Amino acid sequence: MKTAVVLTIAVFAQAIGNACLSKGMKGIALDQFDGSFSAMLLLDAMREPMIWLGTLLLILFLVMFSATLTWADLSLVLPATAFGYILNVFFGYHFLNETVSNARWAGTVLIFVGVVLVAGSGRKSKRRLDGDA
Amino acid sequence: MITALLVLIIVLSNAAGDVLITRGMKQIGEVASISPRELLSVAGRVFTNLSFLSGVASLAVSFFAFLAVLSWADLSFVVPATSLVYVVTIIGARFVLKEEVNGLRWAGTLLVCMGVALVCVP
Repeated sequence: MKTAVVLTIAVFAQAIGNACLSKGMKGIALDQFDGSFSAMLLLDAMREPMIWLGTLLLILFLVMFSATLTWADLSLVLPATAFGYILNVFFGYHFLNETVSNARWAGTVLIFVGVVLVAGSGRKSKRRLDGDA
Repeated sequence: MITALLVLIIVLSNAAGDVLITRGMKQIGEVASISPRELLSVAGRVFTNLSFLSGVASLAVSFFAFLAVLSWADLSFVVPATSLVYVVTIIGARFVLKEEVNGLRWAGTLLVCMGVALVCVP
Protein backbone atom coordinates (compact mmCIF):
# COMPACT_ATOMS: atom_id res chain seq x y z
CA MET A 1 0.00 0.00 0.00
CA LYS A 2 2.79 2.36 0.97
CA THR A 3 4.50 1.56 -2.32
CA ALA A 4 1.38 2.35 -4.33
CA VAL A 5 0.83 5.70 -2.60
CA VAL A 6 4.45 6.84 -2.89
CA LEU A 7 4.74 5.80 -6.54
CA THR A 8 1.45 7.47 -7.47
CA ILE A 9 2.61 10.74 -5.93
CA ALA A 10 6.00 10.31 -7.61
CA VAL A 11 4.56 9.72 -11.08
CA PHE A 12 2.17 12.66 -10.78
CA ALA A 13 5.01 14.88 -9.55
CA GLN A 14 7.06 13.92 -12.59
CA ALA A 15 4.26 14.59 -15.06
CA ILE A 16 3.29 17.91 -13.45
CA GLY A 17 6.97 18.86 -13.27
CA ASN A 18 7.48 18.18 -16.97
CA ALA A 19 4.33 20.14 -17.82
CA CYS A 20 5.67 23.11 -15.81
CA LEU A 21 9.01 22.90 -17.62
CA SER A 22 7.28 22.80 -20.98
CA LYS A 23 5.01 25.72 -20.15
CA GLY A 24 7.93 27.71 -18.77
CA MET A 25 10.22 27.12 -21.73
CA LYS A 26 7.52 27.91 -24.28
CA GLY A 27 6.66 31.09 -22.37
CA ILE A 28 10.25 32.29 -22.49
CA ALA A 29 10.60 31.39 -26.17
CA LEU A 30 7.48 33.37 -27.06
CA ASP A 31 8.07 36.35 -24.77
CA GLN A 32 11.75 36.92 -25.29
CA PHE A 33 12.66 35.28 -28.54
CA ASP A 34 9.53 35.51 -30.61
CA GLY A 35 9.30 31.75 -30.85
CA SER A 36 12.76 31.20 -32.32
CA PHE A 37 15.53 29.28 -30.62
CA SER A 38 18.57 30.72 -28.93
CA ALA A 39 21.03 29.43 -26.36
CA MET A 40 20.16 32.52 -24.30
CA LEU A 41 16.86 30.74 -23.67
CA LEU A 42 18.59 28.40 -21.25
CA LEU A 43 20.07 31.29 -19.29
CA ASP A 44 16.68 32.96 -19.01
CA ALA A 45 15.22 29.64 -17.91
CA MET A 46 17.33 29.81 -14.76
CA ARG A 47 15.31 32.81 -13.62
CA GLU A 48 11.87 31.53 -14.58
CA PRO A 49 9.69 30.40 -11.62
CA MET A 50 7.95 27.70 -13.69
CA ILE A 51 11.33 26.13 -14.42
CA TRP A 52 12.22 26.12 -10.73
CA LEU A 53 8.86 24.58 -9.83
CA GLY A 54 9.20 21.96 -12.54
CA THR A 55 12.75 21.12 -11.49
CA LEU A 56 11.74 20.81 -7.82
CA LEU A 57 8.89 18.44 -8.76
CA LEU A 58 11.31 16.33 -10.80
CA ILE A 59 13.67 16.20 -7.84
CA LEU A 60 10.72 15.13 -5.68
CA PHE A 61 10.00 12.34 -8.17
CA LEU A 62 13.64 11.24 -8.08
CA VAL A 63 13.73 11.19 -4.28
CA MET A 64 10.50 9.16 -4.03
CA PHE A 65 11.61 6.82 -6.81
CA SER A 66 14.98 6.18 -5.12
CA ALA A 67 13.38 5.80 -1.69
CA THR A 68 10.91 3.20 -3.02
CA LEU A 69 13.82 1.22 -4.43
CA THR A 70 15.20 0.74 -0.93
CA TRP A 71 12.29 -1.59 -0.14
CA ALA A 72 10.75 -2.61 -3.47
CA ASP A 73 12.11 -4.44 -6.51
CA LEU A 74 13.01 -2.40 -9.57
CA SER A 75 10.85 -4.83 -11.54
CA LEU A 76 7.87 -3.49 -9.60
CA VAL A 77 8.84 0.18 -9.52
CA LEU A 78 9.77 0.53 -13.20
CA PRO A 79 6.36 -0.46 -14.65
CA ALA A 80 4.72 1.95 -12.25
CA THR A 81 6.85 4.79 -13.51
CA ALA A 82 6.23 3.60 -17.08
CA PHE A 83 2.64 4.68 -16.54
CA GLY A 84 4.16 8.15 -16.33
CA TYR A 85 4.51 8.12 -20.13
CA ILE A 86 0.76 7.97 -20.52
CA LEU A 87 0.29 10.60 -17.81
CA ASN A 88 2.78 12.97 -19.47
CA VAL A 89 1.00 12.71 -22.82
CA PHE A 90 -2.37 13.23 -21.14
CA PHE A 91 -1.10 16.33 -19.31
CA GLY A 92 0.24 17.69 -22.59
CA TYR A 93 -3.14 17.12 -24.18
CA HIS A 94 -5.28 18.40 -21.31
CA PHE A 95 -3.28 21.20 -19.71
CA LEU A 96 -1.01 22.35 -22.51
CA ASN A 97 -3.63 22.02 -25.28
CA GLU A 98 -1.36 19.93 -27.46
CA THR A 99 -2.79 18.03 -30.38
CA VAL A 100 -2.30 14.34 -29.78
CA SER A 101 -3.04 12.12 -32.77
CA ASN A 102 -4.41 8.59 -32.45
CA ALA A 103 -1.02 7.33 -33.63
CA ARG A 104 0.67 9.17 -30.79
CA TRP A 105 -1.76 7.76 -28.19
CA ALA A 106 -1.28 4.26 -29.61
CA GLY A 107 2.49 4.70 -29.62
CA THR A 108 2.48 5.83 -25.99
CA VAL A 109 0.45 2.79 -24.92
CA LEU A 110 2.86 0.52 -26.83
CA ILE A 111 5.79 2.14 -25.02
CA PHE A 112 4.07 1.54 -21.68
CA VAL A 113 3.48 -2.15 -22.49
CA GLY A 114 7.05 -2.45 -23.78
CA VAL A 115 8.52 -1.02 -20.60
CA VAL A 116 6.33 -3.33 -18.47
CA LEU A 117 7.72 -6.30 -20.44
CA VAL A 118 11.29 -5.07 -20.07
CA ALA A 119 10.82 -4.64 -16.34
CA GLY A 120 9.07 -7.99 -16.00
CA SER A 121 11.91 -9.77 -17.74
CA GLY A 122 14.41 -8.77 -15.09
CA ARG A 123 15.71 -11.35 -12.64
CA LYS A 124 14.27 -10.81 -9.18
CA SER A 125 17.25 -10.38 -6.92
CA LYS A 126 15.40 -10.97 -3.68
CA ARG A 127 12.21 -12.57 -2.52
CA ARG A 128 9.14 -10.34 -2.49
CA LEU A 129 8.23 -9.57 1.10
CA ASP A 130 4.83 -10.78 2.22
CA GLY A 131 2.17 -8.12 2.39
CA ASP A 132 3.94 -5.77 0.00
CA ALA A 133 1.28 -4.03 -2.07
CA MET B 1 16.44 18.02 -38.12
CA ILE B 2 17.38 19.71 -34.90
CA THR B 3 14.51 18.19 -32.87
CA ALA B 4 15.68 14.67 -33.70
CA LEU B 5 19.28 15.62 -32.91
CA LEU B 6 18.32 17.04 -29.51
CA VAL B 7 16.20 13.98 -28.66
CA LEU B 8 19.22 11.83 -29.53
CA ILE B 9 21.41 13.94 -27.25
CA ILE B 10 18.86 13.68 -24.43
CA VAL B 11 18.72 9.90 -24.77
CA LEU B 12 22.45 9.23 -25.19
CA SER B 13 23.65 11.58 -22.45
CA ASN B 14 20.98 10.23 -20.07
CA ALA B 15 22.08 6.65 -20.71
CA ALA B 16 25.76 7.61 -20.45
CA GLY B 17 25.07 9.49 -17.23
CA ASP B 18 23.32 6.49 -15.67
CA VAL B 19 26.14 4.15 -16.65
CA LEU B 20 28.86 6.50 -15.38
CA ILE B 21 27.11 7.14 -12.07
CA THR B 22 26.55 3.40 -11.59
CA ARG B 23 30.21 2.71 -12.33
CA GLY B 24 31.30 5.45 -9.94
CA MET B 25 29.08 4.20 -7.13
CA LYS B 26 30.28 0.62 -7.65
CA GLN B 27 33.89 1.83 -7.42
CA ILE B 28 33.09 3.48 -4.12
CA GLY B 29 31.62 0.26 -2.84
CA GLU B 30 28.83 -0.69 -0.51
CA VAL B 31 27.79 1.79 2.15
CA ALA B 32 28.39 -0.29 5.28
CA SER B 33 26.64 1.84 7.87
CA ILE B 34 24.77 5.10 8.11
CA SER B 35 26.84 6.63 10.90
CA PRO B 36 27.64 10.32 10.28
CA ARG B 37 31.34 9.56 9.99
CA GLU B 38 30.74 6.84 7.40
CA LEU B 39 28.32 9.00 5.42
CA LEU B 40 30.76 11.90 5.39
CA SER B 41 33.49 9.59 4.19
CA VAL B 42 31.25 8.20 1.45
CA ALA B 43 30.22 11.70 0.40
CA GLY B 44 33.87 12.67 0.11
CA ARG B 45 34.59 9.67 -2.09
CA VAL B 46 31.47 10.26 -4.19
CA PHE B 47 32.19 13.90 -4.97
CA THR B 48 35.78 13.19 -5.95
CA ASN B 49 34.99 10.15 -8.09
CA LEU B 50 35.60 10.93 -11.76
CA SER B 51 32.99 8.51 -13.10
CA PHE B 52 30.34 9.91 -10.78
CA LEU B 53 31.16 13.53 -11.66
CA SER B 54 31.19 12.80 -15.40
CA GLY B 55 27.88 11.02 -14.95
CA VAL B 56 26.33 14.03 -13.26
CA ALA B 57 27.70 16.31 -16.00
CA SER B 58 26.21 14.00 -18.61
CA LEU B 59 22.82 14.06 -16.90
CA ALA B 60 23.03 17.87 -16.78
CA VAL B 61 23.59 17.93 -20.56
CA SER B 62 20.56 15.68 -20.96
CA PHE B 63 18.41 17.96 -18.82
CA PHE B 64 19.41 21.17 -20.63
CA ALA B 65 18.82 19.54 -24.01
CA PHE B 66 15.40 18.51 -22.68
CA LEU B 67 14.63 22.10 -21.63
CA ALA B 68 15.78 23.43 -24.98
CA VAL B 69 13.63 21.12 -27.07
CA LEU B 70 10.61 21.77 -24.81
CA SER B 71 10.76 25.43 -25.87
CA TRP B 72 9.27 24.47 -29.26
CA ALA B 73 8.22 20.81 -29.26
CA ASP B 74 5.13 19.23 -27.70
CA LEU B 75 5.58 17.55 -24.31
CA SER B 76 3.42 14.72 -25.64
CA PHE B 77 6.06 14.13 -28.33
CA VAL B 78 9.30 14.68 -26.41
CA VAL B 79 8.60 12.48 -23.38
CA PRO B 80 7.59 9.36 -25.37
CA ALA B 81 10.47 9.95 -27.79
CA THR B 82 12.95 9.87 -24.92
CA SER B 83 11.74 6.39 -23.95
CA LEU B 84 14.38 5.32 -26.49
CA VAL B 85 16.67 5.36 -23.45
CA TYR B 86 15.35 1.86 -22.70
CA VAL B 87 16.58 0.71 -26.10
CA VAL B 88 20.02 2.29 -25.65
CA THR B 89 20.32 0.77 -22.18
CA ILE B 90 19.51 -2.72 -23.38
CA ILE B 91 21.96 -2.48 -26.29
CA GLY B 92 24.62 -1.21 -23.88
CA ALA B 93 23.85 -4.03 -21.45
CA ARG B 94 24.12 -6.67 -24.18
CA PHE B 95 27.14 -5.46 -26.13
CA VAL B 96 29.15 -3.45 -23.64
CA LEU B 97 28.43 -5.19 -20.34
CA LYS B 98 27.92 -8.58 -22.04
CA GLU B 99 24.74 -9.24 -20.07
CA GLU B 100 22.36 -12.00 -21.08
CA VAL B 101 19.18 -10.51 -22.50
CA ASN B 102 16.14 -12.80 -22.60
CA GLY B 103 13.40 -12.94 -25.24
CA LEU B 104 10.88 -11.07 -23.12
CA ARG B 105 13.22 -8.11 -22.77
CA TRP B 106 13.90 -8.01 -26.52
CA ALA B 107 10.14 -8.15 -27.13
CA GLY B 108 9.57 -5.26 -24.75
CA THR B 109 12.34 -3.26 -26.41
CA LEU B 110 10.80 -3.90 -29.81
CA LEU B 111 7.44 -2.65 -28.56
CA VAL B 112 9.11 0.52 -27.24
CA CYS B 113 10.69 1.10 -30.68
CA MET B 114 7.36 0.60 -32.43
CA GLY B 115 5.72 2.92 -29.94
CA VAL B 116 8.30 5.65 -30.54
CA ALA B 117 7.89 5.26 -34.30
CA LEU B 118 4.13 5.80 -33.94
CA VAL B 119 4.69 8.82 -31.68
CA CYS B 120 6.88 10.36 -34.40
CA VAL B 121 4.17 10.08 -37.08
CA PRO B 122 3.16 13.64 -37.92
